[in-house]
Amino acid sequence: MTRSSTPRPRTGTRTTARAVVCTASALAVALTACSAPGESDDDTKASSGPIKVAVVNAQSGQLSSLGDWEYKGAKLAVDEWNEKGGVDGRKIQLKLFDDQGDPTTGTNIARRLVSDKYVAMIGTAESAVTIAMGPVLQQAKIPNITSGQSDGLVALKSPYLFLNGPTSTTYDSTLAQHLVKDKGYEKIAMITNNGSFGKGEHDAFLKAVKDLGVTPSTDQVVTTDQKEFSAALTKIRSTKPQVIFIGSEEVEAGLIVKQARDLGITAPFAGAAPQGTPVFIDTAGKAAVEGTIVSSPYLSNDVSDASKKFAAAYQDAYGKEAELHGAKAYDGANILLTALKTSNGASGQELADAIRDTRYKGLLGDFRYDESGVGITRTTIGVIRDGELVPQQ
Amino acid sequence: MQETLQTLVGGLSLGAVYALVAMGFSLVYRTMGLVNFAHADIAMIGAYAASTFYLTYKLPFAVAMVVAIAVTAAIGLVIERVLRPLENKDFDLMLIGTIGFGIVLQAVAILIWGTTGRAVRSPVPAAPLDVFGVRVRTYDLLVMAVAALAVLGLAWFLARTKRGAAMQAVAMDHEAATAVGINVGRSNALAFSIGAGLAALAGGLVGPMLYVDASLGGALGIKGFAAAMLGGFGSVPGAVVGGLAIGVLDSYAAGHFQGYSVLVTFLVFTAAIMIRPMGVFGERTVSRA
Repeated sequence: MTRSSTPRPRTGTRTTARAVVCTASALAVALTACSAPGESDDDTKASSGPIKVAVVNAQSGQLSSLGDWEYKGAKLAVDEWNEKGGVDGRKIQLKLFDDQGDPTTGTNIARRLVSDKYVAMIGTAESAVTIAMGPVLQQAKIPNITSGQSDGLVALKSPYLFLNGPTSTTYDSTLAQHLVKDKGYEKIAMITNNGSFGKGEHDAFLKAVKDLGVTPSTDQVVTTDQKEFSAALTKIRSTKPQVIFIGSEEVEAGLIVKQARDLGITAPFAGAAPQGTPVFIDTAGKAAVEGTIVSSPYLSNDVSDASKKFAAAYQDAYGKEAELHGAKAYDGANILLTALKTSNGASGQELADAIRDTRYKGLLGDFRYDESGVGITRTTIGVIRDGELVPQQ
Repeated sequence: MQETLQTLVGGLSLGAVYALVAMGFSLVYRTMGLVNFAHADIAMIGAYAASTFYLTYKLPFAVAMVVAIAVTAAIGLVIERVLRPLENKDFDLMLIGTIGFGIVLQAVAILIWGTTGRAVRSPVPAAPLDVFGVRVRTYDLLVMAVAALAVLGLAWFLARTKRGAAMQAVAMDHEAATAVGINVGRSNALAFSIGAGLAALAGGLVGPMLYVDASLGGALGIKGFAAAMLGGFGSVPGAVVGGLAIGVLDSYAAGHFQGYSVLVTFLVFTAAIMIRPMGVFGERTVSRA
């Protein structure tokens, strides 16, 4: 009781206090930066020193595996360019920011990117965070290549926002076509979550099947932090569906499939990008995901010479197997760097125009950007066999 | 009818885990009058430790659980040791200290295990039982059985052993307890380590049901805390009732209100707390703040 040293708790409060001061000063800096309009226009061509590019993605929290993949893909592309001498002899300086999958944190980071004069941003993988950051980046004319796929991104109508993959509408209309037209399924059940991704998937898929004249047998909505799905799955089971559409992120989708099998549901599941990932497969278990139908622009590392080369480089750099999200970010980073090269290291409006004009043959397909910032409008259908996503035969 | 029963079964299995989390919260509160905000993150560490010994070192699941409990009990001792100088001096700083420890534990988990979590396969491979069309997972039965044993064990410890009685005495009046020769520090340390062990039990058991990553604590903590409040903070039977109630409530709310289920769960919770602020089994004697 005589000891009065209290190292841990005090450090705790001190860090909090410091964090508050930091945030406050960062805000102040950001405000001054905003209050000087045109400032960023003045140095559209800082022609010396490294080119500063930010990667913003979740490195902690439930979406951290997504953020990790995205960062690895983007960094691989940047490292390759730097090895070849960068852009016009200038190195590309890549810095990672952790948004924790949280829109508020993302907005703070956006202000920091403005005040620290970043030329462009890669990320985030979370549509909600990207949408939150959008207005700040648009005002400061910082082009952003996002991995989000929500149609809400397009609705933002920012000329500085570009997608490195298809939108939910593309994913889900391809999927709906396959399920209804090719497979002839008429009883389709839906389970989606009410987060930004799940809501986007819900609306896009529902519209797509309805356009094809099919009404889902049941439409279950769960929350993003739900862990137990007995109620929804029992209702789905009672409608005896031929296939179940699932619109939620990797881990939750995995839990849903796992619990569905335990309840004796044998119908296959169908979904978009998250359903092709190893996290989804691991969470549910290999046997449970057998036959899952996946709509994705990047099915496996073996589809083309380019993807084989990418996968080998990824393996060399990180000792891990490449997957869709790394490939998306790799394509996005390459598009950005190509645009930087063709515009001789421009920034702002000029760089955004250069990105829009870039024709890029990537891992996900041929990118041709339109006014909406969407560059790719095709996905292919794959199936999970023995724990691996393979192209549909 | 079948749907109702199925929902009940699903709610009970997670409810048993919430009950375990609530018990850990309650035990520390009971002896020290302190809410340990690091509790949920200790459960997360326990889940990671159990999954590591089970999947990476290939220990049997039960052995992995025991090792994980030992690890977190040690963490509990460390936390208590660091907070001890503040006891009876600065209560608020103790609370903030536990919050700080929670943040530290999350950071440590990311340092050790990385950002990508891991899926834990069920240690009970048997197919789910079919009881009149209601499917009951065999692993869920195991979880409920272990939780029940833990409840009985803790109740027995508190009521029938000398150390347990000493802890109760400290809870009632720590000055009088010191006067009769009870070592208050040791009693608190014991409460903290048992609480942490219970957290590991909850975390380790929930691993194969959910997905183990650094944010697992958040998922268990809020519901576990609500369960402890609902049952009456500091009460062991209250923790059990609260845990099962929150689990089942959550499950039914999910069925009826779909996307709004969290809102409904906590509205019902708030209403219950307003009607009975001390919770179902709550008593107002334990307060050392």
